Amino acid sequence: MREMVSNSADLTLKEEKVVGPWKVAWRTFRKSKSALIGSALVLFFIALAIFGPFIAPEGINEQKLQDPTLRLAPPSSEYWFGTDDFGRDIFSRVVYGARISLAVGFLSVILSIVVGSFLGVIAGYYGRWLDTIISRIFDIMLAFPSILLAIAIVSILGPSLQNALIAIAIINIPNFGRLIRSKVLSVKEEEYIVAAKAIGMKDSRILYRHILPNSFSPVIVQGTLAIATAIIEAAALSFLGLGAEAPQPEWGKMLSDARVHLMTAPWTMIFPGVAIMLTVLGFNLMGDGLRDALDPKMKN
Amino acid sequence: MKKNKHWLWGILLLLTFSLLLAACSEDEGTTDEPAKTEEPTDGTSTEGAEEAVPQVLVFGRGGDSVSLDPAIVTDGESFKVTENIYETLLNFGEQDTTINPGLAKEWEVSEDGLTYTFHLQEGVKFHDGTDFNAEAVVKNIERWKGGAEEQYYYFHSMFKAEGEDVIASVEAADEYTVVFTLSRPQAPFLKNIAMSPFAIASPTAFEAAGDKFGDNPVGTGPFRFVEWKRNDSITVEKNEEYWQEGLPKLDTIIFRAIPDNSARLNALVTGEIDLADGINPSDAATIEGNAELQLIERPSMNIGYLGLTNTRPPFDNKLVRQAVNYAVDKQALVDAFFQGRAEVAVNPMPSTISGYNEEITGYEYNPEKAKELLAEAGYDGSEIELWAMPVPRPYMPDGQKVAEAIQKNLADVGIPSKIVTFEWATYLEKAKNGEADAFLLGWTGDNGDADNFIYTLLDKDTIGSNNYSYYSNDEVHKLLIAAQSEIDEEKRNELYKQAQEIIFEDAPWVPLAHSTPLLAGKKGVANYLPHPTGSESLINVSME
Repeated sequence: MREMVSNSADLTLKEEKVVGPWKVAWRTFRKSKSALIGSALVLFFIALAIFGPFIAPEGINEQKLQDPTLRLAPPSSEYWFGTDDFGRDIFSRVVYGARISLAVGFLSVILSIVVGSFLGVIAGYYGRWLDTIISRIFDIMLAFPSILLAIAIVSILGPSLQNALIAIAIINIPNFGRLIRSKVLSVKEEEYIVAAKAIGMKDSRILYRHILPNSFSPVIVQGTLAIATAIIEAAALSFLGLGAEAPQPEWGKMLSDARVHLMTAPWTMIFPGVAIMLTVLGFNLMGDGLRDALDPKMKN
Repeated sequence: MKKNKHWLWGILLLLTFSLLLAACSEDEGTTDEPAKTEEPTDGTSTEGAEEAVPQVLVFGRGGDSVSLDPAIVTDGESFKVTENIYETLLNFGEQDTTINPGLAKEWEVSEDGLTYTFHLQEGVKFHDGTDFNAEAVVKNIERWKGGAEEQYYYFHSMFKAEGEDVIASVEAADEYTVVFTLSRPQAPFLKNIAMSPFAIASPTAFEAAGDKFGDNPVGTGPFRFVEWKRNDSITVEKNEEYWQEGLPKLDTIIFRAIPDNSARLNALVTGEIDLADGINPSDAATIEGNAELQLIERPSMNIGYLGLTNTRPPFDNKLVRQAVNYAVDKQALVDAFFQGRAEVAVNPMPSTISGYNEEITGYEYNPEKAKELLAEAGYDGSEIELWAMPVPRPYMPDGQKVAEAIQKNLADVGIPSKIVTFEWATYLEKAKNGEADAFLLGWTGDNGDADNFIYTLLDKDTIGSNNYSYYSNDEVHKLLIAAQSEIDEEKRNELYKQAQEIIFEDAPWVPLAHSTPLLAGKKGVANYLPHPTGSESLINVSME
């Protein structure tokens, strides 16, 4: 009897200890306050993006030029963030701007992850000349300052938000490609891969079922951080007049439009600026938290 | 845990920092006077050296010159420099367009208005030592006459009508007398010849330099050319052998191109430049509140307009063009983006010019009427390109903002549009080729004559040069040509009034505003009188 009891106790104890890697990660993540703050910010802006039309009191381009008192009006109970030089409600524009920034951030990163992972896996798994070519292309791209490369790409494609998105996606491809490639290089030497090969599994199945899932966690971390950079880059391009077009309420473009009023109507600049800052901060904090949680080396 | 703490500190720091920043800018918004007055004193150091203020003027402006050969350009940024290097036979008044002696000290006009005799200043030399005489004048005019239209199109737009040369011949009667014979009377001939593009260049220099003359300009003016750093600066220095005693007062002028209006104003505040062209109307109050600076108004003689390319759909239809005229709220634009420092435009020229038709009241802001006209025209709702100039111009301080407001006006009546912009030279080139649907542009008069607005901008002869909207109306053409040859002032004005009526009906543009361009300078800049034509010689300017 005593043995049985102790056995079952052991069993339950063991059950508690054997938790999946994702659960462990979640626990680490949950412990980090900064990661939670970051996630809260991210969730907040995602909510803004989704429910924008219900939150924003006005549309994005409701100009009130005829009434001079409504132009460059300071923040008030009616216009929480004030109005810009067209008399448009800045609060509404910032809310709608969340859609644009987040969409550009997510879509460009997803695009670069897809392309980058594909190239990285090929380079890492097949190696030899394919690896040489792909890696050298990545090196060349990384040799350029990223914003410069983005400006060059947008100049070729023509200025628009869509092209800015594509440009940002392209400049981020090498980051993901190299990350995946290095991970694949180590994973493909693991015994289970060798075993899979030994039983005659096809390359495509090995790649899809084993290598990719086991190489992917750093990509998630990198992806979250890359969204932050992508948002900044999109804002920078729009600021330079190479991204969003009038009257889109892109935050970077709002900053650029507000430049001349910096001295006289600072609210036109502060609120879009703060929005950019908080979004980027949110993604960065969340990304750092994820890294701590997902990287086994960072434990303890 | 340690890491977390770092992060918390980081956030705290960031938040306090951003709060500080926000607080700072709020402060400056409300109380920028005391903060500003302190700044320039250490930047300029004029106080201590009252005795010998360096006679160097740095002129900050919105763009670089296209060429320093005035005969081949039409842009104000080029003339701003060439006015100082070259001189014309006749000069305008200091701040008006009356005719005054220049390189010609006297002149006579024959009864029939066909022969003009100019008596030239004696003892004038070009910067390269060539003598200025009747022969030099003849060579200059033959150069313009003989050149291709696309190269000398200013000359062609002023002195050619229906393919015929207005200046039939130019002869040197003696060393210092030039006789112009016209093929038909041209009422504004003296005003035309006084314009910046018709400055006299050294024949030796342009014959030797050929196409490169614009890079090494040689004239008789008060300043000689030193160096040109493209897109950055042009330097000219005092011409020691200048023919007028005691002039010029400045030793060196540096023309610096600073495209951004705010950046240019900042450069003025920090003392980097002494005179700033193209001040945003919204910054006027800031400058007036700064004891170190002076706000300078250029007398207004311009028109800012929205051109509707008359050969491109949907603007090949008069009803659509009229609809756009009703759709745009001009008064709101003037109030918002010219800060009221402009007059709403009705006709294609400002009301100060004789021949202005005051009976035309213009299209009022009436979106409903616009919609009706669009429906009547059968406009299909296809998207148009709305071109906005990339640089601030004296006739329009912020083209992008004006375009955004017009975009909304058009959207309200059901015309979707996309704002497009190009680099400035490309913009002009493409617009000239008729590639734009609707484009913002403007014009600063060169000589204060109605001909220089209506004929230059809207006659069928000037399509391909300054008639960017490709407006062509034979009746208007007849009136304008008749007006050119009419010497009687009353009759001439009557002809222009008739032409304005037809133009009003045809609505090739949406006339937007006649603005008062603003400049700002340091208090020490003395005797600077901006000319309504947009470019002036800095011969009398000095630093105090």
